[in-house]
Order: sequence, then structure tokens, then C-alpha cells
Amino acid sequence: MKRAYLGVLLVSVGLALGTAGCAGGESAGAKAPSGVAMAAPEPPPPPPPAPGVAGQPGGGAMALAMNDPAKAKSVSDSPHSAAMLIYTANLSLAVFQVEPGLDAVERVARDEGGYLSSRQDNAITIRVPRDRFDDTIVRIEKLGDVTHRDIKAQDVTDEFVDLQARLKNAYSIRDRLNELLSKAAVKEALEIEKELGRVTEDIERMEGKLKLLRDQMAFSTVTVTFAPVAVEQVQDSTILAPFPWMRGLGLQSLLNVHQ
Amino acid sequence: MNRWLSPLLLLAASFALAGCGRPFDVKTAPGLVELDDQEPEYSYRAIAPERVVMAVRVVDTKGRGDLEFWTRATTLRMHELDGYALLGTADVKSRDGTPGHELRFGHDEGHKPFLYVLRVFVAGKRLFLVETGGPQPQMERYEATLDWMQATLKLD
Repeated sequence: MKRAYLGVLLVSVGLALGTAGCAGGESAGAKAPSGVAMAAPEPPPPPPPAPGVAGQPGGGAMALAMNDPAKAKSVSDSPHSAAMLIYTANLSLAVFQVEPGLDAVERVARDEGGYLSSRQDNAITIRVPRDRFDDTIVRIEKLGDVTHRDIKAQDVTDEFVDLQARLKNAYSIRDRLNELLSKAAVKEALEIEKELGRVTEDIERMEGKLKLLRDQMAFSTVTVTFAPVAVEQVQDSTILAPFPWMRGLGLQSLLNVHQ
Repeated sequence: MNRWLSPLLLLAASFALAGCGRPFDVKTAPGLVELDDQEPEYSYRAIAPERVVMAVRVVDTKGRGDLEFWTRATTLRMHELDGYALLGTADVKSRDGTPGHELRFGHDEGHKPFLYVLRVFVAGKRLFLVETGGPQPQMERYEATLDWMQATLKLD
């Protein structure tokens, strides 16, 4: 009887976790499986104030090509600025000297309260607080001729809420498994511990993902790629001495005496 | 009369041919020998046995460029392209009073120091380039001789 009860419980736990796993990609209001008590995980932090670009009505994933600043302004004024958004920008600039350009972007990051994420020979990635994103872009665009601009605001509200819901379920399941473990016999305890390990692993993965999303929302990523302005190669000899007789000047010609 | 006229005519003709339409006159100092057939590169070239050479080039500029232009152009040519060291410059004049510039260059040839002195004149629509050069010790030995030859240069 006791064994049968445990079997039913494990099956129900498996079903609950499976259902929670399938909830990814569904709408924001992911519901907890029936019959599972909802634990109270930590609430998500309030989203920081939105910069110049903001979410589209409906809350779906969105990518904005910010080639029209006026359009960007109107979008930011929409009533959905509380959406959970991750801002990324990829800019390509043509400059005469790449190295000073890289230094300048690094300075902008520091000035705006951000930090350097990575730096290569001709590209640099910085992270800046979300509310400094617009100012950062404006300052960087003044460093050279913008040859490419790709600014995106990714709405992660659905993913965030779904992760929270799944995490709540996982916490709840973990609590119940712990409760069962305290009452189980040795043989049953082994199975419960195995299941507990899997649930704990899921929890850690989801917590990590949530942490990453929070970080990505709090700090926007700006990648700037520099290309030196094309300069025509100047020929060295013929330009300075475009007169054939000039090539004969010098000791070599003067001292080579052939009769 | 005719017996004397023919040799005189021949002599006059040979003098005319020797000048051969040169738009300048220069005297060859003792110790140097003028070479024949140096055209088209040189209008005049004389050598000393110690490998000291003086030459004159005449370039038809068609009136383009003044003395400063050609001085600058030749300076850059020697300095920037061939790596000649500009040792000094001086204002000079030809025997007929045409102003010019002298450029003194140093250059190592086979790890030995050589001197190359270039005088630039512009007269009419022509550019006159008077070159002297040779190993530094020999150039110093022939300095007075070369100065004398330079001083005899008269531009037409």
C-alpha cells in the first residue's frame, strides 16, 4: 500500500515537472499544474526605466531597426515601457584611426557608468546601464561615420514570467520530495533522491537563466566595429618626380662614364 | 686668299659645331677632360682621372616652374627618393648674373662617402642643372677647380 502510494506520487511529480518544462514559449500567464502547491519564490525585480526604445503593444519578441530616431521616440512613448526588454546595439563606424576610436568607446562606457566587456583589434563591446543606453549610442555615433546601425529591443517578458512559474513549481516539488524523503524507507529513498537531484538541477538552471535575464535587462550591450576610412595608395616615385630627366639625377648616372 | 680662307672657314665651323647650339658656355679646367657625345642626358660632361665629374643638363621646361619650384622638386627627388642627405644650400649666380640655388648632398656609395653638388638655374624657358660629384676626398681636392669651372658658366 505504501509502495503504491509512493509510485503514484513519483508519477505525479514526473508529470508535474514535464508539464512545467513544456510551458516554455507559452504566454506570460503560465499556470502551475493542478494539485501542486505554489511555493513563494523571490519576486522579480522591478524593471528599470526604459530607454528611448520600448516594447511593442502585445508584448511579443520585438526587434527594432533604429534607423529613424523620430520613430524611436514615438515608440518609447507607448504605454508598454514597463515591458522586460533587453537592449543591444551593433554599430559600425568608419574612422581614420581605429585605436583612438576603441579608446574613446571605452571612455564612454566608463562615463556612463558601464564597463568594458571585450575588446579586439577593431571591435569593442561595452555594457552600460539600461537608462544610459540612448546617451551612449548618441555619444558613440559622434566618433566616426556610421556605416551600419542595428539596435534591438528584445522583449523577454514571456520568457521571464514563464521561468518564474516553472521555478515556483520546481521549488514546490523539491519541498514535497524532501518531505517524502524524510518518511521513506531506504529503497524508496534512493528513488526519491534521484528525482530530487534532477529537480535541483532544473532549479539551478532556471535560477541561472533568470539571473542572466536580469543582468541583460539591467545592462545594455553595445558592440562597435571600426573600419579605417579607405585611403587611396599614393605611388611613391612617379608622383614626386613626374619628369623623366629627374630619374637621371644623382651620382650613379653622373659617375658612370661610358665612351 | 682662298688658300687661307678654307682652313679658317673649317675652323669656324668646328667651333660652331663644338658649341653645337649649347645654350650655355662653360670652360673646362686643366685636370679635367670634356667628354664627347654625352647627349641626350648631358649637354656637357667633363671628368678628372680621380672620378670627379662635372656635368650640365639643359631641360626645356616650356616656361613651367620657377627657380623655387625646380629647386624644391630636385631636393625632394634626391632627399626623399634616393636618400641623399642634404648637407647645405646656398644662393649662387652664373657668370651672366642668373640667380640660382646650390644644393650639397652627401651619399654613401659602397660604404664610402661621396659628395654630390647640384646647382639649379632657370633662364628663359630652360632649366639648367649643373652637377658635380665624386668621392668626398677627391671632391675636396678638386674643390677650387670645380669652383672655377662653375664660375665660368654663362647661360644664354
